[in-house]
Amino acid sequence: MAGHHTAVRFATLLLIVGLSAPAIPAFAQAPSPNSPDSIGLVEQPKKYDGKTVEFTGEAIGEVMVRGEYAWIHINDDAYYAKNVEEGAPLGGYNSGMAVWVPAGITSRIMHYGDYQHEGDVVTVRGVFNAACAEHGGDMDIHAEELVVDVQGRHVVDEVKPWKLWLAIALSLIAALLYAMHRSGEASRTLGPVSRRR
Amino acid sequence: MIVKPRAGDHLVVGKYTGKVIVGVGLLMVVPLLTSIAYHEWDTALDFVISIMACLVFGFGAQILSRTDRDLGWSHGLVVAAGSWVWATLLGCLPLYLSGHEGSYLNAMFDVMSGYTTTGLYLLQDLDHIANGLNMWRHLLTYAGGQGIVVIALTFLFKGTAGAYKVYVGEGKDERLLPNVVQTARAIWLVSLTWLVLGTVALSGVGLALGQAPGRAFLHGLWIFMGGWSTGGFAPQSYNTVWFHSLAYEVIAAVVFIAGSFNFALHWAMWTGNRKEIVRNIEVLSFTITLTLMTLVATFALAKAGVYPTAMTLFRKVFYQLASGHTTTGFSTIYSRAFVTQWGPIGMLAVTVVMAIGASACSTAGGIKGIRIGVITKAFIQDIRRMISPESAVVCSRYHHIRDIALDDAMVRTVMTITLCYLTTYMITALIGVAYGYDLSSSAFEAVSAVSNTGLSCGVTSPAMPDFLKVVYIFGMWLGRLEFMSVFALAGYLFSMARGR
Repeated sequence: MAGHHTAVRFATLLLIVGLSAPAIPAFAQAPSPNSPDSIGLVEQPKKYDGKTVEFTGEAIGEVMVRGEYAWIHINDDAYYAKNVEEGAPLGGYNSGMAVWVPAGITSRIMHYGDYQHEGDVVTVRGVFNAACAEHGGDMDIHAEELVVDVQGRHVVDEVKPWKLWLAIALSLIAALLYAMHRSGEASRTLGPVSRRR
Repeated sequence: MIVKPRAGDHLVVGKYTGKVIVGVGLLMVVPLLTSIAYHEWDTALDFVISIMACLVFGFGAQILSRTDRDLGWSHGLVVAAGSWVWATLLGCLPLYLSGHEGSYLNAMFDVMSGYTTTGLYLLQDLDHIANGLNMWRHLLTYAGGQGIVVIALTFLFKGTAGAYKVYVGEGKDERLLPNVVQTARAIWLVSLTWLVLGTVALSGVGLALGQAPGRAFLHGLWIFMGGWSTGGFAPQSYNTVWFHSLAYEVIAAVVFIAGSFNFALHWAMWTGNRKEIVRNIEVLSFTITLTLMTLVATFALAKAGVYPTAMTLFRKVFYQLASGHTTTGFSTIYSRAFVTQWGPIGMLAVTVVMAIGASACSTAGGIKGIRIGVITKAFIQDIRRMISPESAVVCSRYHHIRDIALDDAMVRTVMTITLCYLTTYMITALIGVAYGYDLSSSAFEAVSAVSNTGLSCGVTSPAMPDFLKVVYIFGMWLGRLEFMSVFALAGYLFSMARGR
């Protein structure tokens, strides 16, 4: 009976919490250099399908050359100018567009963004495809022009001293506990033998 | 009368939970070495801190819980469910320390998502994270797919009789070999063989696609881990559309479909029983429902004219549907494209396949093909009974490794678990609706979380309400452990408070 009351109370609490839930919070999206930005293109694919767009953002990851053309990915998110390792505040998910460009012009890009790099900020101009017939239905931009706006850079994620001290302290405690655990196990293993004697 | 657990019960639970957490700590050595290899010193330090925290907890728990008692059934279930909670609390340390998570809750969400092979994530600026951290994300989903308890069984439990009870508690009940530790090792043998073959194939294609050798290898390994575990994590925010390659998609699909098969089926194939794949009820069920839903989605998207050619239409629909049905969560479209391009019918088709899920005793989630098969057989059996003479004995059987006769007790168990899934899907979806999300998006995301799929239509985000994050974490945990272990843990905690 007590269990039944607890279950009812829990269900009521869950219902109250659910129903009194606030509205969906507005996401504090960092300003993009583009209009429409990548989120706008995904939200209204029909509106921009086949239109020429100018798209600026950080070249991310790598270039993948496929014959005379190549794939690059350009992020126009909160981290396109400065990433988290450099101290940028968190500003939501990454967001960007895949861009199909002549392979030759990708040599202008010197840095692609990753953990140790902030990629070059580039601007491309090309046709937006909501579902590209040439590329298996992928959403992409086919561009012929590419300009490097800002050179990227090497990024060093500095070691934080407090982490070093915490690591040392925890290592010492773990070593001590391991020794205690092993000695306890050993004495338990020896225990029955000594009793048998 | 509810019996209060005795001190001896706590000791058994504490001892084995401690062992599992030591296993989690040792697993972090792999990402630690990755970070060292790539000179990611701050990330390496995050892993040292996290490993030591796991060892302190693990050894501490074992010192405080010294006992010679072996595990009972209830202990096994409690250890399995409890270990996942502790493994989440401690396993999320590297993500939290990286500075890419908005809160500790977000980090916990990601790790529970990884262990449960869901694939939803709240980590921000994924495209700039360290290789070590990416290794951890994928390793924990690979380990979670095999079962973190299976890992501990393999390396730490030394073959106790009670180990089987923890193994079952983690949602796996196939005993491939007489001994559960041998079974755990057989699972590893199959998984590691696929790991080598899958990684080589994906890395080779990655190289051909223009990736540098190091990135091709890491991406190949991580996509394999995300696919085989049906986890769906990927190293870039673009998920698998990053590669823009049919070959990469085909190999990834082969990996995640294989990963979604029952380990007993893998073992049957491994030991020469090749015909099992065409006779097995789970494979048949999966094939039928995937085909039906692919047709539904293809029809809806063709009518809407979303994709320009039949080939692109089929490629996109099959990949997302197969990924959803296997509860993988890889995608080659943007999350919001489910809403802005696929529309309600397309989303409904994906929601249905995610809800069904793939095979039992695999890395996949959802209701499972075997249950859908058994329910269908039971339904047909009832119709046959109705149209047969009263004196007729109507029997029905299904094939899973061997022919199994259908009985009422089995059907009742299957219906109970199915009902648990459907109720959890519904409650989770309703909570989303209460927060203001529309029903189709909320249902899509709720089913994705509880079935451990990881496809998103945009509801999951770092800005989503914290309570909804907690609901999804709970849903992922319930879905992965198939309810019983979590119910056992709840019962254990309740009996501690109210028992006599």
